[in-house]
Amino acid sequence: MEDIKAYMETGILELYVLGDVSPQEKLQVEEMAAKHPLIKAELEEIELSMELFAQENAIEPAEALRDRVLNSVLTNFNDDSTFSAVADKTEANVVSLPAAKSNSFYKYAFAACLALLLASGAALISLYGKLQDSYSQIATLQTNNQHFANQVNFKEGELQVLRDTSFKFLKLQGTAHAPDAGLTVAWSPARKKVWIDLRSLKMPANDSTHQYQLWALVSGKPVDLGVFDKTADSADMKEMKSTASADAFAVTLEPKGGSVSPTMDQMMVIGKF
Amino acid sequence: MVLALRNREKIAIEALYDMYSSSLYGVISRIIIDTTTSEDVLQETFVKIWHSFSSYSTEKGRLFTWMINIARNLAIDKLRSKDFKNQNKNQELENNVTSIDEQRNTIYKPELLGIKDLVETLKPEQKSILDLVYFKGYTHVEAAEELGIPLGTIKTRLRMAIQQLRKHFN
Repeated sequence: MEDIKAYMETGILELYVLGDVSPQEKLQVEEMAAKHPLIKAELEEIELSMELFAQENAIEPAEALRDRVLNSVLTNFNDDSTFSAVADKTEANVVSLPAAKSNSFYKYAFAACLALLLASGAALISLYGKLQDSYSQIATLQTNNQHFANQVNFKEGELQVLRDTSFKFLKLQGTAHAPDAGLTVAWSPARKKVWIDLRSLKMPANDSTHQYQLWALVSGKPVDLGVFDKTADSADMKEMKSTASADAFAVTLEPKGGSVSPTMDQMMVIGKF
Repeated sequence: MVLALRNREKIAIEALYDMYSSSLYGVISRIIIDTTTSEDVLQETFVKIWHSFSSYSTEKGRLFTWMINIARNLAIDKLRSKDFKNQNKNQELENNVTSIDEQRNTIYKPELLGIKDLVETLKPEQKSILDLVYFKGYTHVEAAEELGIPLGTIKTRLRMAIQQLRKHFN
């Protein structure tokens, strides 16, 4: 007990509270305080009295300093939220807030409009591209449609020949000049129409300076019925010039465009009724 | 409060400021005469309190003791720093009379009039030692040199002065 009293008498506890001790002394005091409740109580007494003394000596700092200090504390801690000022100041600040709010509203609204405009533009461009595609597809389809319509018309004509009972079919036979040649001719005296079936045509392909020419022999005289070509894919029926009467039909090879009278030594096929 | 400060709650540092800023500022502004510098030191004090709060524990004593020592140390560092000394040296000649007066004079500041009675209850030698150590930022060793008194006497006087204060507050 005596030691403790003497220890307190040295005044070390007061210096400890004032922070005016070496690190070793500091540790020593803390150890003593932990060990002896009396010293701890004495320390608390000294601390309390110094605190009260400071309160007696208190000087109110300038009001503006509060915000400055508190803001700098938070800024130093990387906290960007700001302190609210004293109540009446906060109210004064509130007035300016709506203006700032509406400002930013228009800013955002403008940005949104701009974004919308850009998006619409992009959409328009892509739609325009698709529209062009559609147009070209329609054009292709129309062409195809026309083609099919033409083919149907043509096939109608072919079918007409086959279904019309007034047509007579004549198979022309190869001559001595071309024994393997052959061609089927359909002729309707009533309608004065002549068709040839290119599918049945058996002749060598003609070159670009020559064409085959069909003749009708009417009372022993040859009558021109038009020219035709033999190509690899020729498979249709072809309508020739019309004639009302014919004794026989013949085909000769003639210069391109046909001749006025047949070249007899180039006769390919002939057939008589 | 200590718990809230540990949890870094904004409201805690606000409350801390409202409770203690005037006490801390009272000490700081007696160590440093210049108002702007005192305000800077008060700001630094709260930044440091906030920053190094983890090093405070209730075991070691009252929160205020810990804070006031931070404030006093910062104020004394500032007072002794080169910048501050140069700043004082560079003051114009005609102002020196008043500023020297101000630096020497802590008791006659108008804010201090209220506590004059309290300090009057102390004996003159107790008052001068408390003045030097508490308000001028002297260590007790420096105070012994300044007053030409042995260290032991300084410690005893300081103890007596503080006991006088305790009696006054009780």
